[in-house]
Amino acid sequence: MTSASLSQTAKPAPAFPALRLDVSELGLSRGDTVLASDLALALGPGEAVLLTGRNGTGKTSLLRALAGFIEPDAGAITLNDEPPAMAAPEAIAWLGHADGLKPGETPRSALRFWADLYGQPRTAIMPALRALEIDHLIDRPAARLSRGQQRRCGLARIVLADRPLWLLDEPAGPLDAEGRACLAALVATHRARGGLVIAATHQPLDWPDARSLDMGRL
Amino acid sequence: MGVLTAIFAREARLAWAGGGGAAGPAAFFLAAITLAPLAIGPAADLLAAAGPGILAFAALLSVLQSAERLFGDDFADGTLDLYLLTPTSLAALCLAKVMGQASATLWPLPLIGVLGGLMYGLPPLAALVLGAALLAAIPALALIAGFAGALAAGIKRGGLLIALIATPMMVPVLIFAAGAGRSAFAGDERAVANLLLTLAISLGTVALAPFGIAAAVRGRLG
Repeated sequence: MTSASLSQTAKPAPAFPALRLDVSELGLSRGDTVLASDLALALGPGEAVLLTGRNGTGKTSLLRALAGFIEPDAGAITLNDEPPAMAAPEAIAWLGHADGLKPGETPRSALRFWADLYGQPRTAIMPALRALEIDHLIDRPAARLSRGQQRRCGLARIVLADRPLWLLDEPAGPLDAEGRACLAALVATHRARGGLVIAATHQPLDWPDARSLDMGRL
Repeated sequence: MGVLTAIFAREARLAWAGGGGAAGPAAFFLAAITLAPLAIGPAADLLAAAGPGILAFAALLSVLQSAERLFGDDFADGTLDLYLLTPTSLAALCLAKVMGQASATLWPLPLIGVLGGLMYGLPPLAALVLGAALLAAIPALALIAGFAGALAAGIKRGGLLIALIATPMMVPVLIFAAGAGRSAFAGDERAVANLLLTLAISLGTVALAPFGIAAAVRGRLG
């Protein structure tokens, strides 16, 4: 957490252009199971929402719909009044249940690739790894990283992407207490820049003023 | 580094590091063309006549071998999700991905094709024409295997599905690539025509298959 805040104070990142996410009358289903109907959600700059609820209540489906990977049954999702397909690719940083790492690949080569893909300079890689406190693991193949370390690597990619809307599926699942503190610090910095965060979680995450949406009670 | 170059380079690097690079398809190809004469028998004229067909057919099968992992791994580890969230067109990303992997794993096939042609008793020129036909066929074979692999990504026992989808689509390129070798062996002038037709199919596949692959990827993720 200290190094995260240090690296941020050393070079304050500029604020994001204002982004608004609006979801209205959203209907989602999986097979015959209705996961959500008439779901509404509105997020402005700096806001965070935690999706909670038991397994199978549709947290991941909602995140995938917000990312534009799946079509909702009904309703509308807009980013700054445009459908995600128009506005999203450069706006969304996605962390799924897997971290996108290859067993034989080191965090260094993986993050170099992601930096190229996201159009970010490679000099942004070390600060991102330091923010997650895994800079000493940079040359260890992903197969020899623990689940928590792999997750930190995935989160480093989110930091590296430098995009305003974070969609995180179980970001803290395999993380230890220190890792959760890193994550909380990163989320706080991101929100201070005007970024949005939506995270599905089973663990209590004490992010200040984060709203909670219980998918099981819709 | 540009986005497409980065994907091409990463796929080539991963194929070298993780999948044994060219060793898998090359070993399969070599094993197949070594075993076929044992089954056919030692008649030299028969082997030379059957050589181009056996070599083209074995090359096709060795390309199919790695198709399951091509998109299956990226599907399972979430990489495909991230490709959807880039401003670059998914079709271009998929083309770079398949070509990156093909360049790292399939380059020995034409060389083995020439060698195998000589082994089967083809004259050197015919063996070279066959090698050139295999080289011209590689983009088409790799992209068709990639298309089938993308359709079957994340499906258990996707190998069966891949074989059923890809083999019929590979028929034209198999016919012309083997035909180039056969015509060169027979000494008729259709060798060049067959070679050019193989190349034409490859170019057509490069133009069309990426869109099919992109649609298949979107469908699998939806």
